[in-house]
Amino acid sequence: MQPTQDALVFIVDDDAGVREALAWLLRSRRLPSESFTSADAFAAFLNARPETDWRPPQPGCLLLDVRMPGMSGLALFEQLIARGLLESLPVIFLTGHADVPTAVDAVKRGAFDFCEKPFSDNALVDRVEQALQRSASTLESFKAKQSRQHNLAELTERESDVMRLVVEGLPNKLIADQLDISVRTVEVHRARVFDKMAVKSAVELANLLRN
Amino acid sequence: MRWIAPRLLSRWALWMSLLVLLVCMVGTLVWLAGRYEVSQVENRMAEDASDAVSDIRNGLTRNVQSLQALQFAGQASAPWEQEAASLLREHREWLRLEWRDVQLQLKSEVDTPFRGPVFGHMGTMFQMPEVVQACSVAQRQSGPGYSASTYVPQANGQGLEVMNLCLPVLNNGELVGFTVATYALNEILINFLNAQLLRSQEVSFTEADGTRLAMHGAAQRGARVFTAKQLLTLPGNTMVLRLDSWRAAPDVFPNVLTALVTMMAIALTSVMGLLARDMRRRQRVESDLADALAFRKAMEDSLVTGLRARDSQGRITYINPAFCEMVGFTAKELLGHGIPAPYWPPEMVDEYGKRQALRLAGNAPPREGVESVFMRKNGERFTVLIFEAPLINANGQQTGWMSAVLDVSEQRRVEELSRASQERLQATARLATVGEMASLLSHELNQPLAAIASYATGSMNLLHEAALTDPQLASSLNDAMQRIGQQAERAGKVIKSVHDFVRRRDQSRVDVAPRTLLDNVMPLVALQARKLGVRVELRCANDLPHVLCDRTMVEQVLLNLSRNGMQAMQDDTPYKTLTLLVRTVPPTPGQQWMEFVVADQGHGIADDVTEKLFTPFFTTKEEGMGLGLSLCRTVVEQHGGVLQHGPNPPRGTVFSFTLPQA
Repeated sequence: MQPTQDALVFIVDDDAGVREALAWLLRSRRLPSESFTSADAFAAFLNARPETDWRPPQPGCLLLDVRMPGMSGLALFEQLIARGLLESLPVIFLTGHADVPTAVDAVKRGAFDFCEKPFSDNALVDRVEQALQRSASTLESFKAKQSRQHNLAELTERESDVMRLVVEGLPNKLIADQLDISVRTVEVHRARVFDKMAVKSAVELANLLRN
Repeated sequence: MRWIAPRLLSRWALWMSLLVLLVCMVGTLVWLAGRYEVSQVENRMAEDASDAVSDIRNGLTRNVQSLQALQFAGQASAPWEQEAASLLREHREWLRLEWRDVQLQLKSEVDTPFRGPVFGHMGTMFQMPEVVQACSVAQRQSGPGYSASTYVPQANGQGLEVMNLCLPVLNNGELVGFTVATYALNEILINFLNAQLLRSQEVSFTEADGTRLAMHGAAQRGARVFTAKQLLTLPGNTMVLRLDSWRAAPDVFPNVLTALVTMMAIALTSVMGLLARDMRRRQRVESDLADALAFRKAMEDSLVTGLRARDSQGRITYINPAFCEMVGFTAKELLGHGIPAPYWPPEMVDEYGKRQALRLAGNAPPREGVESVFMRKNGERFTVLIFEAPLINANGQQTGWMSAVLDVSEQRRVEELSRASQERLQATARLATVGEMASLLSHELNQPLAAIASYATGSMNLLHEAALTDPQLASSLNDAMQRIGQQAERAGKVIKSVHDFVRRRDQSRVDVAPRTLLDNVMPLVALQARKLGVRVELRCANDLPHVLCDRTMVEQVLLNLSRNGMQAMQDDTPYKTLTLLVRTVPPTPGQQWMEFVVADQGHGIADDVTEKLFTPFFTTKEEGMGLGLSLCRTVVEQHGGVLQHGPNPPRGTVFSFTLPQA
């Protein structure tokens, strides 16, 4: 459960008692949380970060009450779908009995899970941790992808050509022939590509790019 | 009664005047016939009189010739007396013949053998003046001459009217003497006149002044007398011959008969004329009547109201086709049928019989009609409304009752249905309200229960770490925390079971046309709309896609929203129009939707109300529970739809919700 240490759980519920109890429960499992009193408030929080590729800086998940005054939980859920945040910020619906069919429907559309009030034992917290793990892994791969793209952007034109041919598995001699440069030059470029892409071998590089 | 009298009177007056006219005409006819007959008789008598005069004249002339013969005989042979005597025997009208000379001295005389000597006791000198008068006339005219008549008293106390004839006797153109004949006037009448003439009438000679001289014939005084007069002019004397007929007055009877026959012929002709005219009029009236009858029949046949007439004994005297159709019996089966009528249900016969008796006793039925149950021929019972009115004939007497019978069973059935549907909706409404309350309670209780459970779980988590320092205390506290959590969960389960119990019907989804949903709530909406003076506008095509929903619950939502809309327009809304609209909306991935819109033009929703609009038990109405909109949202969300609201510019509010298409 260590990867969740720096995680943050968002609680959206109109009932202060429920909010505080949930926060207290999560803290008892060393999970920090942040509470919002309504869906509108959380929507405002999201709208303050309008970039389309914005992702939470740390793993997180959203505990969302279905029925609230003003914007409903479902409407907020639609916004999250629209912004593609479902993977990095999994949603767990909190429902009363009346809302179960709605919640089931929501799960079919990509919600992580739903929990019927009142919650029993640590089942909710366990699900929260699973959600946080998914968030963490999603964010990790998102970050890896981001750094890879950053590294690729660092390469010169010649270095990218050399890298493409290296990934295709050609030996330095053939690469030099194809690019009409010396084998020595190829070796220099190859070392610089490995350095910039933070890999130690051609196989590692191929794996990285395949992802 | 009062209006008939004058007509009768005038008719009688007409008949009376006709009769009087007839009698007058008969009288006139009879009188005219009598007059005619009288004139006939008079004419005949005048002829008789002139015949008589001519007979007398002939007789006198013939006698003159006989006397001339005597003259010649007297001159030739001596025995004049013999000749005269034989002449006197032949001529009873002569009383006496004399032969006188030129100086009128009596030369010879002979008396009639049929009487005693007329002048016996007076002598012939008694009548000398008449003889002189007659002979002077005869001498002047050289022919026979007559004297005026003279009354000669007789021995028996009576007398005779006599008249002298003087005939000059000529010898070779020289007057030599006179022959004088004395006539008895009544003998002239007897001998010269036709016996037939004398039989039936009285004949007499009168002077010009009317003095009767001689008469003959039967006198029947007292009977009706007809008189004819004729002048008899003789040389030297003029008399009047008078005929008196005592012929009875003309007979009235044959005249009356003739008159009557004539009258009857005239009457017959005029009656024929009248009859012909009457016939034409009757035909015209009959054809009018036939038209009127046909009109009336068409009217009766076209009625859907049953008509029935009954006489004062309760027998059916008339029924129209609508009535036959209603009860299923033919007219033949019903006409003349008495009590109990075949369409009375057997179990009601007693009651209807009593009612009938009341009616026959003359009690008028109530104006608004009487509700009854009738039975069709197949035994089916149905409710009718009967209006009855007394049947009055032309004389103003009541002869029975006329009834209009309305079949109200269909109306009753519709009312029943409408009431049933209203009850069903109300029951659903109650159930839905209870369900919503359960739902709200469960939500409201679940929140604190969730908090309790969370705290309990959190506490256990903390105790888990504290167990390292004081395992004993941690263990017992952990138990307590566990129990707290379990009890909270139990409470949640109780609530869930109640909720599930009330919401058992949640899953009944049926495929239904939007129009059907609206049609089902319209009666109730229309009812309230009428009460509040709201016009309801429906805009829903018949061919819209069907929706998949819990019918009664969605109807409840439509009803709630419509009621809210109408109540919002209750006060000072100028154009109270409630619009119910159904339309398709853009689909979401994997699902097509229908949108139901309820728009009013009322006072709209204030901002502070908007925030709490769906809050349970919040209401702006005095009698409201504050569950309506909350329930609506629950229902719509259970169907996966969304309930929204917004302003309806320029005035009012729009509520809309979506339901999945089937």
